[in-house]
Amino acid sequence: MAPDSSICAGRSHIFSSVFAPASFGDPLPTRPLLALKNAADKSSLHHESQLPHKAAWDRAWRLVILFLTMPDAEFEPLVRVTEMGEAEFLRLWNRYKKPSKETRDAFNYLAKGSLGDAGSVYGSIFDWYESEIRRHFMQNFKGTLHLGAYSPMRESTLKLVVDCLLLMRRIYFSPLVEYMLPSLHGPEQEKVFMRFQCSFYSMVGYAMPWPQVADKLARQFINSGHVILGIKSLEEDEGEDDDHDSDGADVDTMEVDKQYSMSYQDWRDAPSAEARTRMMTDGEDSKVTTTREDLLLLLNNLQLVGICGERAQSVFAGVMDSMLTEFIRAAYSGHWEGPSLVSLHLRQWIEDVFAQLVVQVLAVINVSEYGVKESGQLDVQLGDVEKWQEIGIARLGALRIGELFDVIVEWPASSGAIEDLRHFTTHPAARHHLTHSFAAVLNRRLLHPGASTVEILQVYISIIRSFNLLDPKGVLLDRIARPIRRYLRDRDDTVKAIVGGLLADPTDNDGRTASSSSETLVELSAELSKAHQNSLRADTGELDWDDMNWMPDPVDAAPDYRKSKSSDVIGSLISLFESKETFVREMQNMLAERLLQKRADFEQEMSVLELLKLRFGDNALQACEVMLRDIFDSRRVDAVVRNDQGMVTSPGQDNGTPDLHAKILSHFFWPEIQGQPFKVPEEIIQLQQRYSEGFESLKQSRKLTWLHGLGQVTVELDLEDRVFVEEVTTWQATVIYSFNSPNNESVTRTTAELASQLEMSAVLVRSACLFWVSRRILTEVQRDTFRVLETLPTKDPASDDNNAALIGSSSNPSGAGDTSNAETAAANAAAAAAAAARESAEAAAMEKMNLYWQFIVGMLTNQGAMPLQRIVMMLKIAVPGGFPFSNEELREFLAGMVSRGKLEIVSGGNYKIVR
Amino acid sequence: MDYTMEDTQNSAPNAHEASKLGASAQRNDTQGVTKRLQSELMQLMVSPSPGISAFPDADGNLLSWTATITGPSETPYEGLTFKLSFSFPNNYPYSPPTVLFKTPIYHPNVDFSGRICLDILRDKWSAVYNVQNVLLSLQSLLGEPNNASPLNAQAAELWDTDQDEYKRHVLARHRDIEDIE
Repeated sequence: MAPDSSICAGRSHIFSSVFAPASFGDPLPTRPLLALKNAADKSSLHHESQLPHKAAWDRAWRLVILFLTMPDAEFEPLVRVTEMGEAEFLRLWNRYKKPSKETRDAFNYLAKGSLGDAGSVYGSIFDWYESEIRRHFMQNFKGTLHLGAYSPMRESTLKLVVDCLLLMRRIYFSPLVEYMLPSLHGPEQEKVFMRFQCSFYSMVGYAMPWPQVADKLARQFINSGHVILGIKSLEEDEGEDDDHDSDGADVDTMEVDKQYSMSYQDWRDAPSAEARTRMMTDGEDSKVTTTREDLLLLLNNLQLVGICGERAQSVFAGVMDSMLTEFIRAAYSGHWEGPSLVSLHLRQWIEDVFAQLVVQVLAVINVSEYGVKESGQLDVQLGDVEKWQEIGIARLGALRIGELFDVIVEWPASSGAIEDLRHFTTHPAARHHLTHSFAAVLNRRLLHPGASTVEILQVYISIIRSFNLLDPKGVLLDRIARPIRRYLRDRDDTVKAIVGGLLADPTDNDGRTASSSSETLVELSAELSKAHQNSLRADTGELDWDDMNWMPDPVDAAPDYRKSKSSDVIGSLISLFESKETFVREMQNMLAERLLQKRADFEQEMSVLELLKLRFGDNALQACEVMLRDIFDSRRVDAVVRNDQGMVTSPGQDNGTPDLHAKILSHFFWPEIQGQPFKVPEEIIQLQQRYSEGFESLKQSRKLTWLHGLGQVTVELDLEDRVFVEEVTTWQATVIYSFNSPNNESVTRTTAELASQLEMSAVLVRSACLFWVSRRILTEVQRDTFRVLETLPTKDPASDDNNAALIGSSSNPSGAGDTSNAETAAANAAAAAAAAARESAEAAAMEKMNLYWQFIVGMLTNQGAMPLQRIVMMLKIAVPGGFPFSNEELREFLAGMVSRGKLEIVSGGNYKIVR
Repeated sequence: MDYTMEDTQNSAPNAHEASKLGASAQRNDTQGVTKRLQSELMQLMVSPSPGISAFPDADGNLLSWTATITGPSETPYEGLTFKLSFSFPNNYPYSPPTVLFKTPIYHPNVDFSGRICLDILRDKWSAVYNVQNVLLSLQSLLGEPNNASPLNAQAAELWDTDQDEYKRHVLARHRDIEDIE
């Protein structure tokens, strides 16, 4: 013992030479400590009087350590805490029993001793406890926590982890707070507590790396946010919409439900403004309430275990940011109806729901790292909310821009979406974004060969209308329209579609407004008459100095920008073409086609022409005017001529000669009319001659040229068992006329025979014959040989053999077989007619090629030999209307000319005229 | 000079306006010319006359053409082809085109650099004339020279005195333009 004490004494000497001598301040006054001293006396204290407290210290130390030490145990019990019961749990971790009085005294003793001289020989009990906690944590929990941090996310993982951390915190901190701290003075208490807390935080932070925790936290925010902000219910609504519609029994419950709703639809339908304001705040769904409470509790706990704070705030901010977008998408996509209240709804939502959540969450997590809440400053200021609202509006704009194409297609049912965009397009950058992205969408979805011209025009019309609403100054439209217009100009049938639309009858036979079919742009003609009414209003435009509503052009208008006067639909479409001529020419063609139909009146054409004259001026449409007048005049002239020539047959009287009516066209004003030439029956020729004479005597110095290919004939066929009456074309009538026979025998003819007799192209003859086959007047006995079907063969299958064999139908012609025969024949006739049309088109193309040949001859004669490229280039310059053939087609054509000896190829692949 | 400068500055807006107007008028004119020439070309192509032909040069603005005429039969020029250049002024057809023979030709009314003395190409020009008329006139000029106002006095004299010698001169002077190039 003696050596022991001497060693102790020596040791203390050494210590005191290094460190400041230990002093315990006042001698320990309390009796228990004296008792401690007495106990210690037994050992070495009486020898070492200069260290009177050593023994007491050791004893106190031992007691405290015994009390504080936590048994090492696995993580498992933490998880099982609920099954285990609290008492059991605490016992397991040596936290159940209350400290004995002795221990408590020892605490006080050590606590006092540790003050003032933190670096005392024996160290502070707090230091020890801190390192003990650290050791214990590292040994027992760290590994599992680490694993937990990296484990894949489950809904409850974060909550579980946080609960465990809370338990740990309790294990570690309860003795500290309950027994150790009270022995310190107020400010010291706080300091020590902060030290422990800080150490605990760093341990937790070390065990659970932030990125992983942040990820889990973000998910937690997202899940809760979906519910609280109403996104989830919106998405569910979307899915259930159909169900709601189908069962009406739910209506009552629905109404109750909808008291509280984030849905824009419900909000819009709300009866009053008050109801609207209450809708998002009152009567919160219980699910939302619990979710909100859960989230706040979790955040509170997170705050306690130190994985929150600033970093959590940035996670939260990120999540809320995406929530905003998500809500806007869920709530407003597809809600395009006007008048739009979307921006109002969005503002209110941000203020009442979004901001509310932010305030609640920030109240919990907006504390500095050390748990001190800065007071006096609101977490969320009014300015912030306004800023969020602006952001929300911008997001809404982005959503609408994404939807813009569909919005336009749906126009005018989607005017609300355009109104929303108006709130957005106040900024040049936003406007630029709009035009830029919309142009890209247009290129992708509209301006491709798959879209028909009528479709494109229709969308263009919608764009014009909607953009006029979006930006009355027309700058945006100007930018968007350019690529469309350029594209439309490249399409051959654009003029045709426009003119066809203008001339279309806006009301169909039933008198109701016809919807635009995919074939014609009926709405154009409606637009034309509407636009006319608008144009009656005086519009002096920029020169109206008294206009109090005048606005300058937007800043992003191009310097040379000038709102075109023709910003309405018709004007825009008509101005597509550089000159009115293209338009007028097409108008003439279309008008010619329509005027030649057999109709009682042409009021539609007249009114359209009148309206167009207002736009184009009288001069441009003079030809069309003349065409119309021709038709009306010919009616009068026709009556006069027929009267003069005694061609009028009184009703009842039938002398066997056909009636001949004519429409007299002024050749100069009518477009070139393509028609197949052929010889009309003798009888008709005579009538025509008489008619011509009558006309020429009526109109001096004018001559009639008959266009056989145009016109209609009412044919009455007197067959053995039936009489057939139909209105057909002249060539069809001519062909069937040549099957005429005085006696009732079936006439058989071949197409070749007919073609030479009628001076008609064989294709056309065949087409006409097939037409009559489809009408069951003729039958094709063998290829290109037709016979009159005097009796319908339904009764007698035998006589139908040929027919059936030809058409390939069953030899037993039932009723169904008949119709199918007739249908096949009709299809054949249509095909043949198409072939005939193609032939005439080919002939026309050939004729055109002849013209080009003249150009080529002229070119090569005067400019010398040229390579193909140069010929094509020159043709493109020189031929009015451009050269429609490709290099290959021209090469083929020129090769043909070379083989016919009209051209030769000289050195360098140059083509040269052969003299 | 100074005064005019000052004037221009003072009356800047008006002058500016005027110049703009002028420019646009000019442009319209050019368009008009192009249109007119295009329709003339079309007419030539649709209804070609034997022995004459014309086509714009490759410079793309249609204002210069090359034409070809063949010598009328029963004249010293029979069987020969002649190339001509047409250059149209900006105010065509209110001013005549400048027409030159590119192929060397021996003719009383054409000088050795190809210039032509023809009344309708000078003071008798009228806006109703067109390329086709001019070419037809030139073709007939080959057979019926106007010896009252010759540019080539020797040719005029030979035409009246010695047709054979004249023809010899014509053939001696003639070169195919491809040969020259």
